[in-house]
Amino acid sequence: MLSMQNISMVYRTDTVETHALRQFNLDVGEGEFVAITGPSGSGKTTFLNIAGLLEKFTSGRYELDGKDVSSLSDAATSRVRNEKIGFVFQGFNLIPDLNVFDNVDVPLRYRGFNGAERKQRIERVLDMVGLASRQKHLPAQLSGGQQQRVAIARALAGEPRFLLADEPTGNLDSQMAMSIMELIQEINRGGTTIIMVTHDPTLANLAGRNVHIRDGRVSDSDADTQLAEVAVG
Amino acid sequence: MQFGPIWRALMRNKTGAILIALQVAVTMAIMVNAISIIQTRAEAMARPSGIDEPNIFYISSIGFNDAFNERVAVEEDLAALRAMPGVVDALQTNSVPLSGGGWSMGLQTEPGDDMDGVGVAVYFVDDHALDTYDLELVAGEFFSPTDIEWREGSSSTWPDRTVITVAMAEALFGEDEWRSGVGKTVYINNNEPMTVTGIIDRMQAAWNGWDGVERTMLVPQRTLFGSSRYIIRAEPGLRDELMPQVEEMLAQSNKDRIVRGLRTMEETRERSYRGDASMIKLLMFTIGLLLLITALGIVGLASFSVSRRTKQIGTRRALGATRADIAGYFMSENLLISGMGVLLGAALTVGLNMWMVDAFDLDRMEVWLVPAAMGVLLVVGQLAVFGPARRASSVPPAVATRTV
Ligand SMILES: Nc1ncnc2c1ncn2[C@@H]1O[C@H](COP(=O)(O)OP(=O)(O)OP(=O)(O)O)[C@@H](O)[C@H]1O
Ligand SMILES: [Mg+2]
Repeated sequence: MLSMQNISMVYRTDTVETHALRQFNLDVGEGEFVAITGPSGSGKTTFLNIAGLLEKFTSGRYELDGKDVSSLSDAATSRVRNEKIGFVFQGFNLIPDLNVFDNVDVPLRYRGFNGAERKQRIERVLDMVGLASRQKHLPAQLSGGQQQRVAIARALAGEPRFLLADEPTGNLDSQMAMSIMELIQEINRGGTTIIMVTHDPTLANLAGRNVHIRDGRVSDSDADTQLAEVAVG
Repeated sequence: MQFGPIWRALMRNKTGAILIALQVAVTMAIMVNAISIIQTRAEAMARPSGIDEPNIFYISSIGFNDAFNERVAVEEDLAALRAMPGVVDALQTNSVPLSGGGWSMGLQTEPGDDMDGVGVAVYFVDDHALDTYDLELVAGEFFSPTDIEWREGSSSTWPDRTVITVAMAEALFGEDEWRSGVGKTVYINNNEPMTVTGIIDRMQAAWNGWDGVERTMLVPQRTLFGSSRYIIRAEPGLRDELMPQVEEMLAQSNKDRIVRGLRTMEETRERSYRGDASMIKLLMFTIGLLLLITALGIVGLASFSVSRRTKQIGTRRALGATRADIAGYFMSENLLISGMGVLLGAALTVGLNMWMVDAFDLDRMEVWLVPAAMGVLLVVGQLAVFGPARRASSVPPAVATRTV
């Protein structure tokens, strides 16, 4: 499904070179739920951006769905993002001037679906996240948890094979975080491959697999998993 | 394009959009009405005077002592001028088309003190007028040499014949009846009869702002007013060469007068319309300035809206928008704003025009100017927003995860 080999990502400014990822290797299979953990600045968001085709990497090989994506044009990567990938952000990233319905509609319009199809999809995903009655609300009129549900609905409306989430519960209290996690688990059970960045070990343990990043590298993930298992008991 | 959500988002941030739309509307109203004024003036300037302007020049001769015999001088001068190589023809007259100064009288078709005559510009000419001015006789006959009389400065009587322009004939005898004017009697000074012997196509009066500028009569007289004006028509290309020669010849041939006021018809036209020409320039400058200010306003609003929405743009890119989608968003948004502006502008334009027609007695604007101006302003808007839209389209998708 997703295969990264020896990916390096170097950010260059006039004065500094930051090696955000070094010789990064990771394979994620179809239907997996992977939690990415690691200290701040270790390269988690960088990895997620590259995985989601938001950024180009410096060197290495990345195959998504068996296809090398490094040589795709900007328009082609936009289409892959639109069709195959759903994004959930820490800050929700809803468009403040659009109501719930129009927010979920955004990727569907880029997809080129007709009005009836879009409406049906929007209603289905809003129903799924429990916000069917809030279609006309503006983001500012919703709680953080509700906003994140709208964002998840938006990510899922196009039925992507892949859901990428960067700290999706980072701005939520623990109760809301738990319910969002349950939603994400449910989506995973529906067959969607999920990669989620989090710094909360409890939430990470709800994923099928944990990958720990340190200094832009995957540290021994098996060891991590074993440690976690030991900790859980 | 997806106008629906763009419109709904726009309506959540109305203030800037409404201000720009108003600016577009006001610009359009002023622009169209200014263009309408320019059109009127330009049309007036483009009216032909009816004479061979490029080759005609004129000069004045003024006697200054008792030894000056004007009658002899005029006859000698005309003979000498007409004999000069390069001169097509010449005559003596009282006034020059478009020069600003001349005679006017009233003509009427019936005698009587209580009738209002039709105002007409008067030129005293001789039988050389057709050739000298290059006039076109369209009906009847022109003056013959024996028709020409002398007119004293104190005279208040008129010869028995005249040649008038088509415009004057139309005013006297009716739009479609002007040809019937040949042979008819008209009355000058209320009761004095003159026969219309011929009709010329066109010859403008001295005053370009007069609504009867093409109503002209030619009177077969040479004048003894103490000051003569000679109209000289040069062969093509020889005018500038001839002018100093003519001045020199007249100055040398008779020491009892002075010659002055040597001027071309082209310069006379230029002076006559100088006010209109600067008015046109001023209005065009105003239009340009308004368009520029409007364009800058659009650039400003769009730039502000792009930077305010940087994160939103990144999010849209992450959700699958291409660069073209992003640029299209801002172009469409501008189309909506400018569209509101030009719709409002159309109403404002018509209102302003109605008021101006009323208040300043201007011509009503031509209707096609409204859709044309709407189109121009929409294009200006799209051009102005192009830069900000391009900047928006280059916001990287990673902005979605990198900014808080
Ligand atoms: N656009 C950029 N330009 C330069 N350096 C960058 C850029 N983006 C990230 N970095 C650097 O790359 C490194 C990895 O950053 P990244 O955001 O991937 O870390 P992270 O693991 O997501 O951290 P956090 O837990 O704080 O979100 C950091 O040292 C960061 O400063
Ligand atoms: Mg991060």
